[in-house]
Amino acid sequence: MRRYCLSLTYLIFFSISAILLCLILYSPLPALTASLASPEIRFAILLSLVTSVISTIICIAIAIPVAYALARYQFFGKRIANLALTIPLTLPPLVAGIGLLLFFGTTPWGKALETLGFVVIFTPLGIIVAEVFVNIPYMIRILRSAFTTVNPRYEYVAKTLGCTDTSAFFQVTLPMARHGLLAGTVITWSKAMGEFGAVLMVAGATTMRTETLPIALYLNISTGDLNLAVAAATILILISLITLCAVEYFDRGVHVF
Amino acid sequence: MLHIESLSITLGEFSVRDVSLEVQSNEYFIILGPTGAGKTVLLETIAGIHTPDSGRIFLGDREITSTEPRSRNIGMVYQDYMLFPHLTVEDNIAFGLHQRKIPVDEQRAIVEDMCILLEIHHLTGRYPGSLSGGEQQRVALARALVLKPEILLLDEPMSALDHRTRERMRMELSRIQRLTGTTIIQITHHFEDVFALADRIAIMREGRVVQVGETSEVFLHPLDTFIAEFLGIGNIIRGTSSRTGNIAQITTGNGPVFYAASSIFGEVVATIHAEDVILSQEPFISSARNCLFGTISETIPFGSTVRVILDVGFPLTALLTRESCHDLHLEQGSRVYATFKASAVHVIPVTRTSE
Repeated sequence: MRRYCLSLTYLIFFSISAILLCLILYSPLPALTASLASPEIRFAILLSLVTSVISTIICIAIAIPVAYALARYQFFGKRIANLALTIPLTLPPLVAGIGLLLFFGTTPWGKALETLGFVVIFTPLGIIVAEVFVNIPYMIRILRSAFTTVNPRYEYVAKTLGCTDTSAFFQVTLPMARHGLLAGTVITWSKAMGEFGAVLMVAGATTMRTETLPIALYLNISTGDLNLAVAAATILILISLITLCAVEYFDRGVHVF
Repeated sequence: MLHIESLSITLGEFSVRDVSLEVQSNEYFIILGPTGAGKTVLLETIAGIHTPDSGRIFLGDREITSTEPRSRNIGMVYQDYMLFPHLTVEDNIAFGLHQRKIPVDEQRAIVEDMCILLEIHHLTGRYPGSLSGGEQQRVALARALVLKPEILLLDEPMSALDHRTRERMRMELSRIQRLTGTTIIQITHHFEDVFALADRIAIMREGRVVQVGETSEVFLHPLDTFIAEFLGIGNIIRGTSSRTGNIAQITTGNGPVFYAASSIFGEVVATIHAEDVILSQEPFISSARNCLFGTISETIPFGSTVRVILDVGFPLTALLTRESCHDLHLEQGSRVYATFKASAVHVIPVTRTSE
């Protein structure tokens, strides 16, 4: 039994490492650097960075108050709200993408937003919208669990010491939940960097316009340009490693995976 | 000074129902009651954390029922201290001063004075996580006291401490109260706290205050069976304890002396459970060290038992069955002997006057 379990564990460990190493070592270093320096990959890196950072900031701004409400207040429909916020977690991003596409493309509200200049379909803005939609449930869940672990009595004491509700939150609860916030931020950001399905549906896959790193990977594989595809993949692997390390470091008591 | 008028509030399974209380300036007021009686909710409502469903709260002439906690000038210390773990001891203590935008050097001076008062100046740079329970307790007190609160609310502040630390903190609390003149309202489960600290006490049960009064008054004359059983003690006698052989001799003001199996000397409170006192018509020759003679001043029936209150120079309560009471022909004015063992006398030092 022990031997069987251990050999399977080693097998899986070596397989995963081998597959990733294969990918990173596929193109010789000069070819890799050349690909990384190519305008297309540089554009993809920049676009991915910008959209992921913006979408992460939006996620944080929305998730903090929502997670706090879910952790602290009793309100009508709380259970349903909790459930509805969990759905996108289990939903394939492609489906979330179609939902967004239909919402912004066919409904009167979507049309109204478009006439107001909020053009989402096939634009870089669409990338941000797709990333926020897919990632915000993660951020909310992580923060909710972080806030729940902070005893509300810390806030009570802060209030007797002169804090308003808001300042008690910012001076006490939020700093005490900072590990959750950092873990959530890193995870949201790395998921945004790697988001493919929802982005493909909403923003399309237009070279040098809505071409994020995963889209670049997909486009270059489609056209057989393996070197560029591998360059994009290498960056995505590095981001995963950074995320893993960061989460391992910050993720104390906040279980996300 | 603190005046509470028919206060009611329900929070989940805890509630406070129609509570009216009056706490005087400089008073040490203790709230006793079983778990779930609504003691903490009452304290938090006084602090302004919860808005009452009905009723009013006055601090002096000022109505504070809907005043924000930060404008009430009421401090609060919880059982688990709730020190902010991300701040150093110094920043924790200065937290309230910082909210009031007091200049930094002034803050530092105030914090330093408070740290010297509470003997925690060597801890200022440390984080709460590395402190012992007693140290955390002092920091929590310091944090509340730097704002010079009119009232300090203590929610079982010593429950998490070991026996010896509790004893020391008790002295500390009474010293702090004398030094700062702060009114203190404390919740406790320990009768020792009551005897050592309280001027007056309130008993809470199922959200209601069922009895309020001077400590000795409440213990001597519990209003109903619940309170009598909850307090579980019939007799509280103040006196001076001195060594006689291997045991303590307790001298009361104008009453007789009696003996206790104890090694605590000085100002004390002696407690004797009412059921440990045996009454008899003739002197009862036995191994029990104490046999006092007195007159019955009152008999109070409680279900199948009777509380007999004697005057032996101080009031002494005995708990008898109705049958024994009847057989001995005990009634008001009867003269009887009261016998109890020295080992039935529990001696508690009075920390108020000992420094």
